[in-house]
Amino acid sequence: MGPGDSEFNRRLLQTFRVEAEEHIHAVTSGLIELEKSPTSERYAQLIEAIFREFHSLKGAARSVNLREFEQVCQPLEAIFSRLKRGEISLEPGLFDLLHRVIDFLSEFSSVSGEKRTSAQRSTQKELIAQLGILTKTDSIAPEAPKPELAADALQDSSKEPEIENLKPKQKETSFGQTVRIPVSKLDSLLFQAEEMIQTKVTTQQLVAELREIKSALASYSLSSRQWKNRRNAAKSSEHEELVSWCETHLDQLHARIISVSQTAEQDFRVMRRIIDDHLEAMKQVLMLPASSLTETFPKIVRDLAQQQGKEIDLVVSGDDIEIDRRILEELKDPFIHLMRNCTDHGIEKPARRKELDKPATGKISIAFATNENRQVEISISDDGSGIDCNQIRELAIKNGTVPSEAAKKLDSREILALVFQSGFTTSPIITDISGRGLGLAIVSEKVEKLGGSITIESTPQAGTTFRMLLPISLATFRGVMVRVSEHLYVIPTANVMRTLRVKTEDIKTVENRETIRHNGIIFSLVHLGEVLGLPEAANSSASAFKGHNADAGSVTMVILANGDSQIAFLVDEVLEELQVLVKGLGQQLSRVRNISGATILGNGRVVAVLNVSDLMKSANQFASIRKHRDGGEIARKSMRVLVAEDSITSRTLLKSILESAGYQVTTAVDGADAFARLRSGEFDLVVSDVDMPRMSGFELTAKIRADKRIGELPVVLVTALESLNDRERGVDVGANAYIVKSSFDQSNLLEVINKLI
Amino acid sequence: MIEKNKPLSIVKNESEQAILKARAQALAKEPEKIVPASELLEIITFRLGGETYGIESVYVREVYPLRDFTPLPGVPAFILGIINVRGQILSIVNLKVFFKLPGKGLGDLNKVIILHNNLMKFGLLADEIVGTASVLLSTLQLSLPTITGVGREFMKGITAENLIILDGDKLLNERKMIVHEEIAFTASK
Repeated sequence: MGPGDSEFNRRLLQTFRVEAEEHIHAVTSGLIELEKSPTSERYAQLIEAIFREFHSLKGAARSVNLREFEQVCQPLEAIFSRLKRGEISLEPGLFDLLHRVIDFLSEFSSVSGEKRTSAQRSTQKELIAQLGILTKTDSIAPEAPKPELAADALQDSSKEPEIENLKPKQKETSFGQTVRIPVSKLDSLLFQAEEMIQTKVTTQQLVAELREIKSALASYSLSSRQWKNRRNAAKSSEHEELVSWCETHLDQLHARIISVSQTAEQDFRVMRRIIDDHLEAMKQVLMLPASSLTETFPKIVRDLAQQQGKEIDLVVSGDDIEIDRRILEELKDPFIHLMRNCTDHGIEKPARRKELDKPATGKISIAFATNENRQVEISISDDGSGIDCNQIRELAIKNGTVPSEAAKKLDSREILALVFQSGFTTSPIITDISGRGLGLAIVSEKVEKLGGSITIESTPQAGTTFRMLLPISLATFRGVMVRVSEHLYVIPTANVMRTLRVKTEDIKTVENRETIRHNGIIFSLVHLGEVLGLPEAANSSASAFKGHNADAGSVTMVILANGDSQIAFLVDEVLEELQVLVKGLGQQLSRVRNISGATILGNGRVVAVLNVSDLMKSANQFASIRKHRDGGEIARKSMRVLVAEDSITSRTLLKSILESAGYQVTTAVDGADAFARLRSGEFDLVVSDVDMPRMSGFELTAKIRADKRIGELPVVLVTALESLNDRERGVDVGANAYIVKSSFDQSNLLEVINKLI
Repeated sequence: MIEKNKPLSIVKNESEQAILKARAQALAKEPEKIVPASELLEIITFRLGGETYGIESVYVREVYPLRDFTPLPGVPAFILGIINVRGQILSIVNLKVFFKLPGKGLGDLNKVIILHNNLMKFGLLADEIVGTASVLLSTLQLSLPTITGVGREFMKGITAENLIILDGDKLLNERKMIVHEEIAFTASK
């Protein structure tokens, strides 16, 4: 066999696997429906359908030469043929056997021939033997116990019932209109479409920049003209010539920039529309009905119920709603967990249910519904024993999850919410189904990650309902950019209720906590910088709030909402709302407190995206440990220091050392930048690196000394150069102090500065 | 004119001939000892806090200049922050802090060595990239009693030239390097 043949075979087998999976699936759904004792008409339809599925499966196996597979299908087909004729009937024992066989087949189809274990082979023999008993005419099965059914079936089979209706739950799209494409290909297309958002953002920024250049040029032209008019009288012709040369060129440049800017703007508009439409279309492609998620559930519930010795019906409704495949995929584990939870903790054993006057068979319902906000509401409920709030309260106190005094104050809703905390389980025994106490925490984390929320309601003895609210598609993320000191953060727009500017006197302290009243509602107020744990010096909102800032009459805040809770966060500035592509923080940062990801702005700058759910928890935590601040210790020294250093790391380090010592720090990236800043601002001291591009620390010092206004400014040079010569050169140019980098530490820097100012 | 058109390879005198002969002999000689690749360690050497380190180049994806970074609140101090490397987010580790080396000294720390394997990727801060080198495994001294502290367990050895070879594999697989922080619950009063 040539390599081409084996490749061909491999592909054939792959196709077979997909096909087999579909048949197996259809059979499973059919069997489960059969178990619910359907009407005789439906019964016949289902038997017929399953018979056909096995027949096709057998044929498919034969066409790819899978004899072993075919051997198992053969008796199955025979059994259903006998069922059809009413020669045997479906008994509970038979259901179990059939489910076992189907599990075996589905496992069997997923592994290739060579990898099959001997255990599998022996299972195969055993199953065939068991099935064989049922196919023989002299079997022990009682003779046609449902004669009327059998008659129906006979009739039906003679007139071939409507085929479309036969396949349980499979919705057929008209043939020829659809193609089968591997999901991985579509995913990569979607990924590419999403990456284009980045281009869109960058282009938008470029357009804005062009616009600025355009207006700058316009103002140059204008001032040049004004200047000329003023001087018009007394100028030599040579000068005149130069001026008009400049003017002409400026005008030409201006005209060209205007046209480039216009073109860029048009291009941007077109691009924005194409990218948005394309992304939306891609998302549509990846929408699937919720049934693609739920179709395996009946089997799962059946297996779970059996392990537990319980009887459970699963009722699914509204699963024709289409949802983003990525959301459905992420929902699979939470769903399985919740169904386990219902089976394990919720629904009682049949005997107990009878005592309680409930039907012996418990019920789990899953319902999907859309609302007007393009969200899907999913409820999973059981009619089991419900959750005992007092038991949870006691457990929470025992585990130390909540201090006992606090626990007593919580109402039943808050108590129920505790089950989403990690390490919580109400099951007194840890079963292998659930009760490891991590599940619900993971469920809620997953749901939140998808931009949704989950709540729980429970009535003792009547049942428990989990309600999830999720977006239908993963919306392109919109965020509000805020500034705290020099740090920028993006907050998901979905969590921002509103942004406010309020007068400082409207902030009231209630029980040691700051609050703000807005539209009749009182919100607790926290400082975003403090909640994030930014160093005090970086918390300029704090000082602004205390009135040290010129702009201190009012403060800016964003009211954030997550689930039921709402808290106002104080920020320095709310910049803009923008569409962003949220990226992960990389493999190393698997989960960072308060931060869910990062985004890259048009200029390449990286900005952290805040995790509002975490922020709320942090804010609560923070409020309870926070000491009441008292004024006075702020701005002990408000000396202004300029740091000139080309290395970003050293610059940041120097800045943070100086800021935590109470100085106001401005930074410059090299000597030239530093000198420009010194000329335009007021400073009390300069700390400068020596070795910098454009202008070294020596040159900078010399220039400062030569300047009339700032000539007396103390200069501290920080350098890697250790030679005596350099030290001398430093003194020569007029530096006041010279710190060698290799022996640098924060105390010697602060000591030196203290001596100088 | 005719003189100039003569082939240039003509050897004019004996001394040139002698030189060429010596060269030919040198080239013809078998190399003294062929060191199998498995005994050599290809490394990238860099300076950090006054020390010179080496790290196996198999773990180094690239060296990247650090121009800007975004600090993240609430991460351990050894994480400097995150940067944008061609559209991907990369976290940066300051080994000086991770190894708990004395805080003295102010380095440039403006180079990033991107370390990676199939599961992990992060950048290491360096003051300066010195270059690449091959080190004979057999010349590595496995441990030096004078080196103590956290850093020691991440050292593969030290060369005769006092070059500290870091264990890239160990750094990449170190659990303590991974940041995974949940928020504990406290009830609001």
